[in-house]
Amino acid sequence: MRIAYYPGCVAQESGKELDMATRWVAKALGIELVEFPSFSCCGSGFMDEANEVLNVALNARNLAIAEKAGLDIMTVCSTCQGMLSLANLRLGDAKVKARVDGALKPLGIEYRGTVKVKHLLRILTEDIGVAAIKARVRRPLDGLKVGAFYGCHLLRPGDEMQWESPEEPHSFEDLLTALGASPVYYRGRVMCCGFPIQFVKEETASRIAGRQIDDAKAHGADAMATPCPLCHISLDSFQNKAAKAAGHPLDMPVFHLPQVVGLALGASPEELGLPRHLVPTDAAIARIRPPAVA
Amino acid sequence: MTEGTVSATFDIYRNDPTSGKAAYYQRFTLDLTPHTPILTALLRIRAELDPSLALKYSCRSAICGSCAMQVNSKSRLACQTQVGPEIERHGRIVLEPMRNQPVVRDLVVDQERFWRDYASIAPHLILDPRHPMPAGHENPMTPEQVERFKETPRCIACAACYSACPAVESDPAFPGPMALAKLYRFVVDPRDSATQDRLARIQPGGLWLCLRCHLCTEACPKDVRPSERIRDLKELAIAAQGATERGSRHAVGFKESVRDRGLLEEMKLARKTYGLAGTLGQLGQGVKIYRKKPEMMRKPHPIEGVEEIEKIYEALDRPEGGSK
Repeated sequence: MRIAYYPGCVAQESGKELDMATRWVAKALGIELVEFPSFSCCGSGFMDEANEVLNVALNARNLAIAEKAGLDIMTVCSTCQGMLSLANLRLGDAKVKARVDGALKPLGIEYRGTVKVKHLLRILTEDIGVAAIKARVRRPLDGLKVGAFYGCHLLRPGDEMQWESPEEPHSFEDLLTALGASPVYYRGRVMCCGFPIQFVKEETASRIAGRQIDDAKAHGADAMATPCPLCHISLDSFQNKAAKAAGHPLDMPVFHLPQVVGLALGASPEELGLPRHLVPTDAAIARIRPPAVA
Repeated sequence: MTEGTVSATFDIYRNDPTSGKAAYYQRFTLDLTPHTPILTALLRIRAELDPSLALKYSCRSAICGSCAMQVNSKSRLACQTQVGPEIERHGRIVLEPMRNQPVVRDLVVDQERFWRDYASIAPHLILDPRHPMPAGHENPMTPEQVERFKETPRCIACAACYSACPAVESDPAFPGPMALAKLYRFVVDPRDSATQDRLARIQPGGLWLCLRCHLCTEACPKDVRPSERIRDLKELAIAAQGATERGSRHAVGFKESVRDRGLLEEMKLARKTYGLAGTLGQLGQGVKIYRKKPEMMRKPHPIEGVEEIEKIYEALDRPEGGSK
């Protein structure tokens, strides 16, 4: 399949390992990523708090770029997924559409509303399919207990994101099972990572992140995995702060979604950028049982 | 089991904090039709199996807002949630009291903090004493004015949102989704004269602690959509008062940092949010992350067509009059 690849800001900057892993997995599964150096930031759920119409207009421009090329968009970030989907939805309001068109038309940009925005998780589980992925697994993640951590904007508001259950999703766990891992079910998997208020009140954000990591751990997780690089910042880059807030060490390796897929499909930790994580992932990888020799 | 019924297993949280005994889950099994409301099942359990079970309810019709509880970890009204789908999905129904409020007994919680947070936003119209309503007259609004807050009056104060909220769970300074959704309703009400004062007080008063996780919007049985009204409130607060807090500085700083290159510039945003001194305070953590991820210090290349971004900002980012 061919799709417009929308990496988002973090995967192009501090979360480069997400981009590396995405490209590796896409190549392995025959997903052709079409790149557009003209894509702008999605607004990240912050810009629209300052100016919603402006944010919708920037995303209408992003959507128009893909539409002109006749492609749907693939995101690798729960928040990019949410913001681009919301723009599609808000443009259904005639007043919003008129203001956005007023800004875009003089630039020769027109968006007709035909582009679908899909997160990599959805493409893997719906378009490629867990059975097809299972057939490609070269190193089953046997013995690894993984707590999926979805990221709010991929799921909610449920009636606007129009995918799986916003409170009881299962796509990520289905995928983990196909990869040979054991998914861990815990309340925190659909909760917030604390990232949105990391800059507002760090102690509170850290307490929230620590609670979700502790919850995954209490349910037996050796590692967590997330389809959102912002959750990854909160759970990995700032895990030391979460541990301080929790009052005890957490030592929880946190994978990006395509990293767990890549590991199972045979990529090396280096190819997936795993050495870039703040919390080492070696101990989790060491838990993977080598396949029995026939 | 009779035809058309399911065998429904309930694991119900039991706790009497005055007894000194630990909380436990008690199992009950009933044959019920799949569309039986959970509240109906609870009333049968209490009538037929254990009269000591404590719960709160009244109207049984999703109007009074009394019977909110955790149903298989989701905030729900017991009267509005049917047995069948829960059994189908989970094989059993775990019932627990609402979260974020101390347990009085079993499924009943103490709502003192919830109501105190609600009272803190002055949830009533504050009319301008200089323009009293003429005697015997109503204070009319246009349909367009009412449209702006059509969802909020549906709220039945059931506290399902409060129970679902991770910010309430983690910070006593956050007044909760309902209080802020109600605040929004008065801020945009053309009859209310305290808009500026309300917005000035809520910026430092917890508004920016909302995580925008939308769990409140999922929990709300009346589709009030508190998380979306809180977003609206943030934009109104910035328009009225400017960015006075870290949260609003972050939102405005984010918007500004994308303008130049079309992509987020992480370091520039940090300076705008924290100020120079605050950024220096983050230096230790910054260095830890930088060692693994040096790109965080890099200015991204401007996107192709970055001049279009500037034009879009010029067209849509002009300050507008903030009239109601």
